Amino acid sequence: MILNETPIRTAKNYEINNINIDDFSLPKNIKKFGGLNISGDVDKISIIEEKNKANLKYGNGEILSKQIENDSNVNLHLKVDSQDKKEITLEFNLSEENQNLVDDILIDGTENATATIVIKYISDRKGKFYHNGQIRVVSQNSSNLNIIFLNLLNKETENYVSIENVLDENSTVKYTIVDFGGKNSVTNYYTNLKGENSNNEINTIYLGTDNQLLDLNYIVEVYGKKSNINMNLKGAIKDKSKKHFKGTIDFKKDCKKAKGDENEYCTILSDTAKSISLPVLLCTEEDIEGNHGTASGKVDEKQLFYLMTRGLSLKEAQKLIVRGQFNEIIENIPDENIRDIVVEQIEQKL
Amino acid sequence: MKTELDEINRNIYDIKNKDDYDFKIKKGLTREIIEEISRQKNDPEWMRDFRLKALETYNKLEMPTWGPDLSELNMDDIATYVRPKTKMTGNWEDVPEDIKNTFDKLGIPEAEKKSLAGVGAQYDSEVVYHSMKNELLAQGVIYTDMETAVREYPDIVQQHFMKCVPVTDHKFVALHGAVWSGGSFVYVPKNVKVEIPLQSYFRLNSPESGQFEHTLIIVDEGASLHFIEGCSAPKYNKVNLHAGCVELYVKDGAYLRYSTIENWSKNMLNLNTKKAIIGKNAQVDWVSGSFGSKISMLYPMSILNGEGARTEYTGISFAGKGQNLDTGFKVVHNSRNTSSLVNSKSISKNGGTATYRALVRINENAKGSKCNVSCESLMLDDISRSDTIPVNDVRTDEVEFSHEAKIGKISDKSIFYLMSRGLSEEDAKAMIVRGFADPISKELPVEYAAEMNNLINLELEGSIG
Repeated sequence: MILNETPIRTAKNYEINNINIDDFSLPKNIKKFGGLNISGDVDKISIIEEKNKANLKYGNGEILSKQIENDSNVNLHLKVDSQDKKEITLEFNLSEENQNLVDDILIDGTENATATIVIKYISDRKGKFYHNGQIRVVSQNSSNLNIIFLNLLNKETENYVSIENVLDENSTVKYTIVDFGGKNSVTNYYTNLKGENSNNEINTIYLGTDNQLLDLNYIVEVYGKKSNINMNLKGAIKDKSKKHFKGTIDFKKDCKKAKGDENEYCTILSDTAKSISLPVLLCTEEDIEGNHGTASGKVDEKQLFYLMTRGLSLKEAQKLIVRGQFNEIIENIPDENIRDIVVEQIEQKL
Repeated sequence: MKTELDEINRNIYDIKNKDDYDFKIKKGLTREIIEEISRQKNDPEWMRDFRLKALETYNKLEMPTWGPDLSELNMDDIATYVRPKTKMTGNWEDVPEDIKNTFDKLGIPEAEKKSLAGVGAQYDSEVVYHSMKNELLAQGVIYTDMETAVREYPDIVQQHFMKCVPVTDHKFVALHGAVWSGGSFVYVPKNVKVEIPLQSYFRLNSPESGQFEHTLIIVDEGASLHFIEGCSAPKYNKVNLHAGCVELYVKDGAYLRYSTIENWSKNMLNLNTKKAIIGKNAQVDWVSGSFGSKISMLYPMSILNGEGARTEYTGISFAGKGQNLDTGFKVVHNSRNTSSLVNSKSISKNGGTATYRALVRINENAKGSKCNVSCESLMLDDISRSDTIPVNDVRTDEVEFSHEAKIGKISDKSIFYLMSRGLSEEDAKAMIVRGFADPISKELPVEYAAEMNNLINLELEGSIG
């Protein structure tokens, strides 16, 4: 099945225009999902269970969006409408009892609203589960949303995620994404910086081990004057894992004084892991500043040497260096317990 | 107030000669046409078979599903072979008057006298002039047109011809394989250093036709060479096609610098293919300036096959009104401790589109390799377009890879600073653009740097409106 097309194509033999999942089969008979736990300031955010009927501009492809439209087993509409600080956590737990999750989440940030929303996907350690979800965020004027997205699913689970954000004037949507889990983990992330002065920040850490395949396709279209996008990814891959990062910033005409930055650093920890990156800048407006940088390679030898002279083994030293690189992004997670879980996963995986 | 920038004055390049030829093949692309080209060119049998096989491949391959729109290209409207009314000569005086005038105006014989070790000049589908300094001849250097090479050095040609760029690479390489004509062949023997450059100049005069020259260069172990390629054509209303092919074999310890200033007219579709295979501790440096053409799809490629092989790419493209220049560089690291350095600049203005499209692949067997890519795009107005589409594919751990890119306009601060020092806004902008292009012009031989600066100045000439 062909998924996650890039907004602009390049040569076919570079194998990056889309991802082809060979052994994909769409689960039938999606049952009711009983693994959702909502906690935090539930009295301050209204959560309605209803179909959202959102048609995403990009998304992960027709088959998966049709499944969400017809067979979703979790439909949530979160309405964030006050200025007081509040935090809410949606935890989805996939297990023997709840093997398939097809979720559709709409987050509505009304004018001046502020909130932190944690969306967490976890699973039993063993078991072939399935997740196909979409999250649509509407951030109205001057709203401020902080979204923590955690994919901590096991390595046998299929994970497909589509995210879409539409930002009005002066609004800010900040994402912290932890992308660690899934056998095939495919994420389509799209932001429309519609309003003047709107601001989208994405901080992602990813980890690939064993035979994991990570396909990240981040697309940001910049329409609003003086709007800002900052994409920052840090990752590590080892064993036979594969990572594709496709990041597009598309400066549309008249987005004067807009700024866009895109940075990715991928640490490669084995000689069989593969990293492909496609950092795209598209531009039809002169009065902007657009930068991107990508780098990949092994762990810095000097740092390794230093740590090893202090008595650490090679593995411990590598782990410490990768954790150090991730730290700045992990710090964004407000909940200490979740931070600990993330750190623990890094320990286990490396 | 905004600086208005005028389109380039292309007077010298746009001088057309009468479409006066000895033979022009009928338009289109069929087996009969390929057989006729082969007969007209007196091909040996293996070459005729090769052409026909390439045509089969061409028919099987699909058009690119990416990049600029090529829908206006209709092979039924293109004559793929035009033989000028002259035979190849080694004496400039023997070149027919109108063709000679064209090259005189382009400064080719002048450059030969001053700074070149050898010159080849191609007019439409055939090379009309080829010469080389005697001392190089004595050292065993071969520099001749491709047809002579096929006849006189059959073994070496057959061993290398379209082996570096196989016809299956893409549709336009297959087309080239079927209809190629003209081009240069260079062989530099072991340990011979060619101190001054060789140059081939390609001129397409005939309307609704194509130029498909083949350049094959072999630099043997420990040898070195600087090769310069120039191209231009006058403007017609209908589409012309250029689908040349450059194959470079740079053996162990050898060095090759390949410089190109491409200034095709703005009705030209430039779908050119260039590739180098680089041996142990050898190096290839590409210097590339793309100014002309309506559409260019041009991505020189280095394959670093030997341990310690190196390559550098320094390129600039300048896309003006009606132009879509899709250019970049491809490199494959295929052995240990190889290194590549890429420095690309592009400028777009007057509604032009400049795209940097690239590939870096570091294979499993390329431990200890390094690659550094930097690309910068400058937009001179808000009706133009500038895109950066690089693929970075790293398949092993012990590597150092980095890529950075920037897009933007000339900073107001820099203009303000220069204006506060007494420069006009226009001069300030021109100075910044020249500074932007400087790392590229530094890499070019003096005459070419002057030509490039001249092109940039012409592009920037204008008044404050």
